[in-house]
Amino acid sequence: MTLRTWGRLGLIALVAVFVQVGILNQIVVGGAHGDVFLLLAISAGLVAGPQRGAEMAFALGLVADVFVQTPYGLSSLCYVLVAFAVGLATGAMNRRPTLGFQVAAALLGGVGGTLLFAGLGTLIGQPSVPRHQLVIIVTVVAAGCVLLANLACRLLEWAVAVAPGAHHDAGVFAAGSAR
Amino acid sequence: MAASRRNTSQRLTLVILILASITVVTVAYKGEARQVISSVRNGAGDAVAPVQRGIAAVLHPIGNLFAGMAGYGGALSENQRLQIEVGRLRRQLIEAQQAQEQLDQLRLEQNLPFAGGIPEVLAEVISSPSSNFDLTIEIDRGTSNGVGVGMPVVSGVGLVGSVISAGEDTAVVQLLTDPRSLVGVRFGNGIVAVAQGQGEGDPLQLQYVSEASVTYPGAPVVTSGLDIAAYPSGIPVGTVASVRHTGGSLTSQVLVTPLVNLSILQYVAVLQWLPPA
Repeated sequence: MTLRTWGRLGLIALVAVFVQVGILNQIVVGGAHGDVFLLLAISAGLVAGPQRGAEMAFALGLVADVFVQTPYGLSSLCYVLVAFAVGLATGAMNRRPTLGFQVAAALLGGVGGTLLFAGLGTLIGQPSVPRHQLVIIVTVVAAGCVLLANLACRLLEWAVAVAPGAHHDAGVFAAGSAR
Repeated sequence: MAASRRNTSQRLTLVILILASITVVTVAYKGEARQVISSVRNGAGDAVAPVQRGIAAVLHPIGNLFAGMAGYGGALSENQRLQIEVGRLRRQLIEAQQAQEQLDQLRLEQNLPFAGGIPEVLAEVISSPSSNFDLTIEIDRGTSNGVGVGMPVVSGVGLVGSVISAGEDTAVVQLLTDPRSLVGVRFGNGIVAVAQGQGEGDPLQLQYVSEASVTYPGAPVVTSGLDIAAYPSGIPVGTVASVRHTGGSLTSQVLVTPLVNLSILQYVAVLQWLPPA
């Protein structure tokens, strides 16, 4: 990826930090709130494909982990896997993802990413979250991802310089092969 | 051919990133790296704190405006006032009950430590945790205000938690309900136990309560302050919610409802008290 792409991604991450700590953290539903970094990781997979999406998700995870008390690097691991899976699914479509696909990916990515984070956390010794609370967290995070998926995809399209409306393969894989 | 090469490249990238993530988790887990990350986290918290305060100041009036438009403004403030009043009365009741129990024991014990008289730093809660998986809050006071790691945090009603990380201008407080939180408590006729958090909205679970211990729902629970406890003695923690004796076990399952409503905290006080080394 180019320096410009990383620069833009850095800018998006900075904005995401303020959105997360300033806004989303204040909108608490049943003790849970949205996760803008997971949303960006999902969007990275959607927009940039599995390989570049995973790279971007790794970087986003490192930033996200600065603002939480969970083990550093756990978000990166989780986001990489989510972005790669979403990227693979998107690549299988062989065309630019439709709004419906974006929503479905955001929903499944939100659910899968949250469960993955909880599971990996428990695996490395983090206290497990009660099941009823996990259901609330999954629901709230997935709902937030669905609501903001399109906006996040547009931001990531700007970062990787894919023209809105461009064919997915033409935008992403051509750019990827030009590296 | 090109597709195959691309697939190989993708898989290789995935493996490298997974290994890199695992390495980061492992390296950051202990030692110097952990301290560095803690410093970075504190610095980052300090850096975004002014924006958090600004956004909170903007969002609160907007929230109140909507409440007023809906005609609930008066009811809301009245409700808040009554909640605070109920909290005060509950605290007084528990303190009175506890004082009576302590008085009964004063003939036998001397030099009981008390929480009163400890200097405190008032702070505003500026953020909930950024992760849904850690039960912490961020406050707008840090080391420059005399706040340090390990200090207990209380509200007007009772114990909230303790400071687990402190930057210059902000600090992170681990809530009682966090499963990593352990509080030495005393209840009933001097029974001591350890209260462990079980997650958001769930009661605390008392560990190491003998089946022979006698207690009842509603009994006050306060910090024990025993020996090298992390909290001074006598801070109200909650009330016994239920007691269950399980057949075949030597311990009872006792659940405690925290006194403080941890989901609506706005102001707290940090007690400038550190546990003995």
